[in-house]
Amino acid sequence: MKFRCSLFFTAMFGLVSESSFAQAVIEGRVELPKTSAAPVMIKRYEIVTKDGVLATKPPLAVVYLEGSFPRRNSTAETQMLQKDLTFAPTLLPVQTGTRVAFPNLDDTYHNIFSLSPAKRFDLGRYRPEETPIPSVVFDVPGLVTVRCDIHEHMRALILVLDTPYFAMSDPDGRFRLSGLPSGRHTLKAWLSSKTTLERPVELTRGTTLRVNVP
Amino acid sequence: MNSTSAPAKSGLLSFRIKLLGVMMLVVSGITALGLYLAQRQLATNAEQDLEREFQGEVASLHSVQKMHRAALAERCRVLARKPRIHAALEDNALDLLYPNAKDELRDLMDRKDENSDDSEVPSLHAIFYRFLDGKGTVIKPLNAKDVGELRPEEESQLTLDPVPAEGQIGYLLRRAGESDETIDEVIAMPIISNETDQPIAAIVVGVKPVELGRHRLATSIKSGIWLKGQLHLPSVANSSQAMLARAMASPDRAERSFRIELNDGPHLLFYKQLNPNSRFPPAYEICIYPLNDVLTRQRQLRWQILGSGGILLLGAFAVSHFASARLSTPVTKLAHDSAENRAERERAEAALEKTSKDLQRSARFSANTSHQLKTPVAVLRAGLEKLRTHENLTCEGREEIAVLIHQTFRITSIIEDLLLLSQMDAGRLQIAFSTVNLSHLLEAQMDDLSALPDGVEAEVESDCGDVHIAGEKHYVALIIQNLLENARKYNRPGGRIRISCREEGDWAILMIGNTGRSIPSPVREHIFERFHRGCVGEDIAGHGLGLNLARELARLHGGDLRLLRSDEDWTEFEVRFRLSRQVAMIGGRVS
Repeated sequence: MKFRCSLFFTAMFGLVSESSFAQAVIEGRVELPKTSAAPVMIKRYEIVTKDGVLATKPPLAVVYLEGSFPRRNSTAETQMLQKDLTFAPTLLPVQTGTRVAFPNLDDTYHNIFSLSPAKRFDLGRYRPEETPIPSVVFDVPGLVTVRCDIHEHMRALILVLDTPYFAMSDPDGRFRLSGLPSGRHTLKAWLSSKTTLERPVELTRGTTLRVNVP
Repeated sequence: MNSTSAPAKSGLLSFRIKLLGVMMLVVSGITALGLYLAQRQLATNAEQDLEREFQGEVASLHSVQKMHRAALAERCRVLARKPRIHAALEDNALDLLYPNAKDELRDLMDRKDENSDDSEVPSLHAIFYRFLDGKGTVIKPLNAKDVGELRPEEESQLTLDPVPAEGQIGYLLRRAGESDETIDEVIAMPIISNETDQPIAAIVVGVKPVELGRHRLATSIKSGIWLKGQLHLPSVANSSQAMLARAMASPDRAERSFRIELNDGPHLLFYKQLNPNSRFPPAYEICIYPLNDVLTRQRQLRWQILGSGGILLLGAFAVSHFASARLSTPVTKLAHDSAENRAERERAEAALEKTSKDLQRSARFSANTSHQLKTPVAVLRAGLEKLRTHENLTCEGREEIAVLIHQTFRITSIIEDLLLLSQMDAGRLQIAFSTVNLSHLLEAQMDDLSALPDGVEAEVESDCGDVHIAGEKHYVALIIQNLLENARKYNRPGGRIRISCREEGDWAILMIGNTGRSIPSPVREHIFERFHRGCVGEDIAGHGLGLNLARELARLHGGDLRLLRSDEDWTEFEVRFRLSRQVAMIGGRVS
């Protein structure tokens, strides 16, 4: 568990700390859709479909800054685990060109595949101790639904973004983006496969902007 | 008898003919009714049999359809659980739908020809299949060869907007060439998301329709499908097809049967909707049964029934003839008897009339005779009286004449008695009832008796109270006189006469007894007969009319006279009269 968390946080904040000119910070809160579900005690989210719309349950938001930023040369790497017949995390934002590995931590086979237009792949069946760990590079922005062909209920979303500046909200919708470049940008908040909210922002070096979406 | 027999005979004949006619009418009516009922029963039975056959076949068809649907639904459930299918539909990767489903549906398309034709249970082997997307439109396959080729217009007929929530059955007319048409059964099954329970897509499978009557022996029965105003019945001639199409132009009910006249004779047509409650266009199974055989059979049966009816009629004729003869026998007898009776009655009436006339004639005759006799007797007596007074007569001569005069009195008495009797016989004697004092009458009669000249001495005892009776004095006196004269006449010398009378209820009873020889019992019955004189007393004067007259008169008075006893020197008669208080009641004419 500790290993998984550390990986997760490395993936989240590694990008931010590396940025040399990122000085500005945006803090705020995204108004998440109301849900009747009890507050999540263990951090476990499901991907639900309703009328063809995919979202997490309970709701979470991915907040990111859109603009023309220089592309990164090296390929970043992150992981999406399969453990206890679920994906972890269930919602994973990555920058374009990121390689995502899918380690199998269960005692059974999994067959990870996706038919999403943003990335079609099929990793085939593999066992937990399979090496190298099967991985996929996501090079087209978009939403990718990841499934297991063996376990029909397993589902995860990978949100491929063309920006290095993104963050996940907490269950209350609060977020913080730091090390942002100054200038006029668009702040976007992904809520579901259908809903992405956006606000224009103007950032100046060394300041912290408070933005609530919407 | 002879005169009545001719009309009786003709009447009998007409009775027999009528009876025969009615019986024949009844028998013919029953035969006709039987014929009609049997024919109708036959026709109804034949149609019912055909309809039952048709319904049975359609039912088996429906059961096959149900099996198909169940099998397909199961397949769809499996498909819906397949993450790849789900993903292809949900992630809009429709191009991958057919390749991903290929593995799952491979056996669906696999045709095991060597089995399918012979197997009793139809297998779900598809000719084609297509997926419908969430909106119900057909998802075009990349490679139609794998999923069965369809023309674009055929493919577009599979669209179901929106995608159905339940299985639907339809029929698809396909043309392979200009003339070659086939109809495929189409089953649409929704693929229901196991997550949301909503139909996210559907699969449409085309299968070969179950042929009706595959095992039917009668090949003349034709079945086909009526779909969207078009008839698919290849084995029927074109002209007949047009007639059928007209008849089926607007099927108003889900099922029906009617008769239809086609080119090759009358047919019975059944139709039944194959896909009720389906969103595909309605299709009807049609069966045409030629009725020629049935009609031929009906004709045969009609002749048979007619024949047997004729035989029955003949038999009935014989039976009714016999029966009418039997039934008319008592009538004949009755008629005969009545004729005889009538003749007899007429005879009796004639005899009666004759008798009555004779009687009247005889009564008249005796009355006339009596009158005519009386006159010469009176003349004779007057002559004799005159002669007795003649001076020249000797004493003996006078005696002789006195006897002769006495005889004339006797003759007169007989004539009077005869007159009276003849009046009674003719029913002309009427009693003028009044109250008669019987005791006074008796005293007077006893005085007369003692005054009689023959000088028979007898002691007379009388025991009479004051009794009044109803009667006519003259005739009552006559009765008493007759009885008293007898009592004196048949008495022995020195004998007794006892007269007593008493009242008993409504009756006055007068008893007159005398001593003397008794009447022998064989004679007793006859003493009251006319002109009978007892065997006793040949020496005693009498003419045998007295007792008869007395009894007749007593009966005319409503009473009677009878011999009470006659033995041991004692003979006693009893006369009864009604007491006078009953005069009013008896009144009128007694005859």
